Amino acid sequence: MADTAHRTPRALDLKYQPGFTSVAMLCFFVLYAPIAVLVFFSFNANRSVTRWTEFSLDWYVRALANEGIQNAAVTSLEVAVFATVFATSIATAAALATTRVARYRGMTAAYTVINMPLMVPEIVTAVATLSFFALLRTTLGINFGLGNVMIAHTVFCIPFAYLPIRARLENMDLTLEQAAADLYATPWRTFRRVTLPLLVPGVIAGAMLAFIISLDDVIITMMVAGPGQTTLPIYILGQIRRGVTPEVNAVSTILLAVSILFVTLFFLLGRRRT
Amino acid sequence: MKKFPGVLAAVAALLAGGQAMAAGELHIYNWGNYTSPELKEKFEKAYDVKVTIDGYDSNETMLAKVKAGATGYDIVVPGDYMIQIMVGEGLLAETNPSAMENYKHVDDRWKDVYWDPGRKYSVPWQWGTTSFAVNTAVYDGDINTLAILFDPPDALKGRINMLNDINDVINAGLRYLGYPRCNKNKDQLKELSQLLLNAKQHWRTMAYETIEKLTSGDVDVSQNWNGASMRARKQVPTLKYAYPREGFTGWMDNVAVLKDAPNLENAKLFMNFIMVPENAALISNFARYANGVVGSEKFMDPEMIESPEIVMPANAPAPEFVPPCDKEVVDLYNKIWTNLKK
Repeated sequence: MADTAHRTPRALDLKYQPGFTSVAMLCFFVLYAPIAVLVFFSFNANRSVTRWTEFSLDWYVRALANEGIQNAAVTSLEVAVFATVFATSIATAAALATTRVARYRGMTAAYTVINMPLMVPEIVTAVATLSFFALLRTTLGINFGLGNVMIAHTVFCIPFAYLPIRARLENMDLTLEQAAADLYATPWRTFRRVTLPLLVPGVIAGAMLAFIISLDDVIITMMVAGPGQTTLPIYILGQIRRGVTPEVNAVSTILLAVSILFVTLFFLLGRRRT
Repeated sequence: MKKFPGVLAAVAALLAGGQAMAAGELHIYNWGNYTSPELKEKFEKAYDVKVTIDGYDSNETMLAKVKAGATGYDIVVPGDYMIQIMVGEGLLAETNPSAMENYKHVDDRWKDVYWDPGRKYSVPWQWGTTSFAVNTAVYDGDINTLAILFDPPDALKGRINMLNDINDVINAGLRYLGYPRCNKNKDQLKELSQLLLNAKQHWRTMAYETIEKLTSGDVDVSQNWNGASMRARKQVPTLKYAYPREGFTGWMDNVAVLKDAPNLENAKLFMNFIMVPENAALISNFARYANGVVGSEKFMDPEMIESPEIVMPANAPAPEFVPPCDKEVVDLYNKIWTNLKK
């Protein structure tokens, strides 16, 4: 095999250190065992999440028939779709403006500002957003309703969408774009016919990340959401206080399945192009 | 609203369109999974009002949002001490429920409460007690004493869960020693600290997941709320809720209206509505706690009226509602608690 020569010698390879397998397995166990337990008890026939009786799909039926859960799911999807579309568009523009242009003063600053929401603790953003919208309402009388939540989600989803798009742009071969320009394509035509089609996997990856991040958010949503704007994670959190039933497990399992589906798609789309 | 992007306008229009069916609106902000859907529907039909319900997970989350202002909610359901705090901060509307038509149904014992004397701001939603439950299959002696928690019989040593709550643990300790609540007496507190540190060796865990712990057999005793004990007993019939003779804590959640409520009149209608015995029973049948309205028993599930966790035995002491202590006491308690949890 041609690439054997480049491999690290066995003695230095992390994979062959003593105990590697057992430590790795232990880490996987700690990470995934609780989730496995949660999924397992969502199929429990009685209302306990600790004592197994027999297999049943009752809790899924109940969860899906529950009006509170239905409303929360619809709200979650509305917010996630809005945030994904806008965050991804803005992130794509931002990624182009920080890679496909001549270096300009403040480019590093722009990069930092775009990624700031990743560094700031979520609770800080949440409290800040809460007072911001409260100020808009009390002093100017401006209230977008569910739009408040959508705007807040768009903002914190931007860096998550930005990173894969930027990574894709940086790895793309510039010669194709140069060739298009050589053949008298206008900048717009070059973008439309060459850059964008090549960029699509990055955009899709960014969009899916944004969607999942929006769907899972608790703290910021909790602070911003107004009447009738409960999202699925907030609904689940509210249930826990009064005793967990397998209904919560069932909803969580569905949410988990959606997340896994998206992460898998993200992985497959990323692999196809590299 | 001046200028904002067309998409948002469309969204706003959609939302407004969806709600424009009923004559009015009412926005309730209550503990999660605590509001009976039947009650909601009945109120909507009776007054042609569209009701939304959102849930919070703690009094403090609710307070944080309400304090920021203009939440859009009309009704909140704070716990006893939180009503006092919110009245102090001027966040609640003085709706004078005591002058409402159905106030006559409220049990006299809930009319002059420390958090709202004479009921000028709030009406009872549900109330309960915080004591502890014991698995009588493991220990069948006398359980109506706090000695079970602080000086347990051999069978229960190392089999106890305490609530991870500073006030619930310290107040139980003070009652066991026979000392007053909101205590500043250094000698008494030293004794209390000793008691807790000594009892800690018998405690297996300190956590809120009482139902899960008791029913999985992780512990045989747990400090617990009465409604949670009732649900645990349905799974493990040998669990028994104790009424310790040294005393135990009572709590009440109350319906109050926010000062900046957009639908003040509907909120008042709702207050009056839930004091009707038949409607109060709907609340209890859903969330499984007592409601404080006389005559509601007739409409409640029989298994609730017969439940020893909900109906206290005649010889049990009255539950004690403990007001929040002042800062000095809180600091002293915090020291004891930190030391205990080391």
